[in-house]
Amino acid sequence: MKRDIPDLAGGVILAAIGLLVTVYSLTHYEIGSLRRMGPGFFPALLGGVLAVLGGMIALPALGRRGTSFHIAWKECLAVLAAILVFAAGFDRLGLVIATLASVLIATLATPDRRIGWRIALAIAVTILSVAVFSVGLKMTVPLWPGR
Amino acid sequence: MSGWDGFLHGLSVAAQPGVLIYCMFGVLLGTFVGVLPGIGAMATISLLLPITFYLSPEAALVMLAGVYYGSQYGGAVASILLRLPGTPQSAVTTLDGYPLAQKGRAGVALFTSMIASFSGSMIGIFVLIVLSGALAKAAVAFGAAEYAAMMILGLVAASTVGAKQPSKALAMVVLGLILGCVGTDVNSGVQRFTFGQTELMDGINLVALAMGLFGVAEVIANIRVAERTGVPPRIALRDLLPGKAELRRIPLPALRGGSLGSFFGALPGTGSTISSFLAYALERRLSRRPQEFGNGAIEGIAGPEAANNSAAISAFVPTLALGIPGDPIMALMLGALVIHGVQPGPLMLEARPDMFWGLIASFGIGNLLLLVLNLPLIGIWVSMLRIPFRLLYPAILIFVCLGVYSVRGSSFDMFAVALIGIIGYALSLARFSPALLLLGFVLGPLIETNLRRALLIGRGDPMVFLERPLAAVFIIAAAGLIAMSVVQVIRRRSASAGGQTP
Amino acid sequence: MIISRRAALLGAAAASLCKPALAQEAGWPSQPQHVFVGFPAGSSPDLLARIVTEPLSDTLGQPFVIENKPGAGGVIGVQQMLNAQDIENSFAATINGPLTTAPRLTPNLGYDVESDIAPVALIATSPLVLVVSAEFEADDLSGFVDAAGAEPEALAYGSVGQGSGAHLTAELFSDRAGVEMLHIPFTSYAEVTTAIIGNEIDCGFMAPSAAMQYVEAGQLKILGITSAEPFAQAPGVPVMAGQAGLPDDFRAELWNAFIAPAGTDAAVIETLNTKINAILGDEAVQQRLLDMGWQAAGGSADVLAQRIATDTEVWGSVLDRIDAKD
Repeated sequence: MKRDIPDLAGGVILAAIGLLVTVYSLTHYEIGSLRRMGPGFFPALLGGVLAVLGGMIALPALGRRGTSFHIAWKECLAVLAAILVFAAGFDRLGLVIATLASVLIATLATPDRRIGWRIALAIAVTILSVAVFSVGLKMTVPLWPGR
Repeated sequence: MSGWDGFLHGLSVAAQPGVLIYCMFGVLLGTFVGVLPGIGAMATISLLLPITFYLSPEAALVMLAGVYYGSQYGGAVASILLRLPGTPQSAVTTLDGYPLAQKGRAGVALFTSMIASFSGSMIGIFVLIVLSGALAKAAVAFGAAEYAAMMILGLVAASTVGAKQPSKALAMVVLGLILGCVGTDVNSGVQRFTFGQTELMDGINLVALAMGLFGVAEVIANIRVAERTGVPPRIALRDLLPGKAELRRIPLPALRGGSLGSFFGALPGTGSTISSFLAYALERRLSRRPQEFGNGAIEGIAGPEAANNSAAISAFVPTLALGIPGDPIMALMLGALVIHGVQPGPLMLEARPDMFWGLIASFGIGNLLLLVLNLPLIGIWVSMLRIPFRLLYPAILIFVCLGVYSVRGSSFDMFAVALIGIIGYALSLARFSPALLLLGFVLGPLIETNLRRALLIGRGDPMVFLERPLAAVFIIAAAGLIAMSVVQVIRRRSASAGGQTP
Repeated sequence: MIISRRAALLGAAAASLCKPALAQEAGWPSQPQHVFVGFPAGSSPDLLARIVTEPLSDTLGQPFVIENKPGAGGVIGVQQMLNAQDIENSFAATINGPLTTAPRLTPNLGYDVESDIAPVALIATSPLVLVVSAEFEADDLSGFVDAAGAEPEALAYGSVGQGSGAHLTAELFSDRAGVEMLHIPFTSYAEVTTAIIGNEIDCGFMAPSAAMQYVEAGQLKILGITSAEPFAQAPGVPVMAGQAGLPDDFRAELWNAFIAPAGTDAAVIETLNTKINAILGDEAVQQRLLDMGWQAAGGSADVLAQRIATDTEVWGSVLDRIDAKD
């Protein structure tokens, strides 16, 4: 079947976002008048425009073959987890442990199965981030758990 | 004091060892933090602020300014090599710089950006010397109506010259405008789309957005690709530098970009972002090979880089003469002045010529230093590409996180960067332009506030936009651009339709 | 030489404060202290906080580290103090907004001023001045009130945002003077002055320091000041109270204060209050504050508590009026 999946999906999602924004603005914020535009005027208008544009992207994509693409699920997950662990952890665990953990998680995305380089890299990045941010730039971040 | 006398006087101030040394320190530090993904001038300057208590105001300002424009040189390096822009201006540089680097021409891209940055700064300084008085007046003549009209022109110019599918380009601009609505509405004080999060009251953090859309998304997309392609081969020295034909493509775009930038930079607000996008749009329109843009066109680096550097310089006019900072970094520098009891304002040019002209002269010296410093470093930067990506990206992620955190000390922003990164990856899969999203995001709040303010001041009469001559010029130019691109699309359609039927 | 003079002044300020006090004998502070500021580095609340924390670090022997947590008009700074891991060693320096109007203006504020916050000391206050373009038709307050009263919304004024001191003061003024003006929100005083000079809007209330240079340059003029007495940084400007039909108690001031989380040891608050008062008593510190447009305040923690209570009430009634108008 001929479908340009990225454009089709992208268009549909954008159109949906546009509609949602318009509906939310109309129901939650004042629209106002031309003289005194309310907070809802601009987003409601923009949402409508985005919905139309989304449609304009999606419709032609129905009858056209798209380029092939591949979603890097594993990489997405690893990167997401690495950032979330760092963001959630560094307040409580301190910069050192959060960085070590986050780097180890991030490296899960590579096909290289060996373990040694991961640990070496985690230590190196930790030293670097402590040196640059804590020592060099004097940022007030806790280094260890419980300060 | 005339401009040239002032500049000469300024040179004598900036060349004092006590000032010169801080200028050097500033540009060095600026380059360094600019290259590091994530952390930028903003965080560095806030961390340096307490030190300036103990410096003379001239030395303090020269040093902080050095960090500011030094980081733009460094930022170009990260944009070109890693597609990691720290600011919307350097997002434009990724458009052609990164593809060039992918083709093994990273050295050429870096060389172009540095030469163009340097030329842009020189143009900015020249314009400032000749026109400093007039620039300050122009900024006062700009009211809400003019701003709104100008930003609309900027958006139209940037997006109509957009990609092969205008609807996709426009959709990204509009999505950016919508994201720009998040936070407290200036006119009514209402919290929009914050869903009860106090952290969202001032809107989505710009650095988190830029880092997520470009940096994190790029990391995700690249892990597997880099593993397959392996490490690029060592590049011979002569391939680092542009050939004659490539060199010839630098001067004119740099000159155009520099002039454009020095005008728009003087308008407080988003001068430097608008000017780099406009310069890109302009080069693309003037080029005989527009299809090269986005695939590594030299002009696409030279124009915007010259524009944002000259804008960064003329932006000091409204900052110092009106006290209106163009961006948060400028606001920080104003704070540094206030620490020393210097109030920026209309009297500053006359009352503190040492400071004003000393600063301008230090731009000249600092940019020269940056050029001398950075050209030999090109080889080293390029060899950075030979580090296997699997060793590089975990460090990039940590630095992005800490950089985003350093902006306002908010863990919320780090969670945001993760989410935005995933969205950015999805956008890149479907070939939507994150640069245009960023442009819409930056300009959106300004357009909305100024549009509504103009209508409020005009007591609801939309004619305010046509009655004020400057505003009318911008609106007509925007309408003209739209008309032109519509005509172009129709012509292209009929041409391709004619071509397909043999 | 500015460097050495400033260093010397700081040194002198520090030396005069080296008396031991109550909580210090109990071993406080034994660790670095955090002072949360809800505004970015380099902003005026941040600079005010630094003027106080630098000598504090010197006299108490532990660093008082400024933690900038900007956002939501200063509210995030207060929230972060209350949620700090190390809450025993956390304080905040804030403008009046988060303690007086924020409960009305900020949904999901997350704290209750009365039960969650312990006042420590008032740092500094600033009156506001009414500014018009130099070309404005009237030269005094009664002329201004006449012009503003010609018809509803005859004049437009600029503020630094919905619910800002500039906005509320202008509404308080309109109410007391019996006029109605059109509110145009901006985001900074610099934008407001530029708009007045460019004749986009007619007037605005602002901090004296934001206006003085333009007055000297002949681009703006000041019609009155909202404090009870004339202000050193705005010489020759008449007090508004009692003029042009305004009541005698017409007064509006911005202020900055040092606060602690509720439950902080009373001895600690006492020590901090004493030290801050000593710092504010120093002439060099007072001059630095004046240079930035602020008047050193001080006084006991109760003075601050009283200030919070009265301002919450006054601004609350102004907010009622604004809500009723919409």
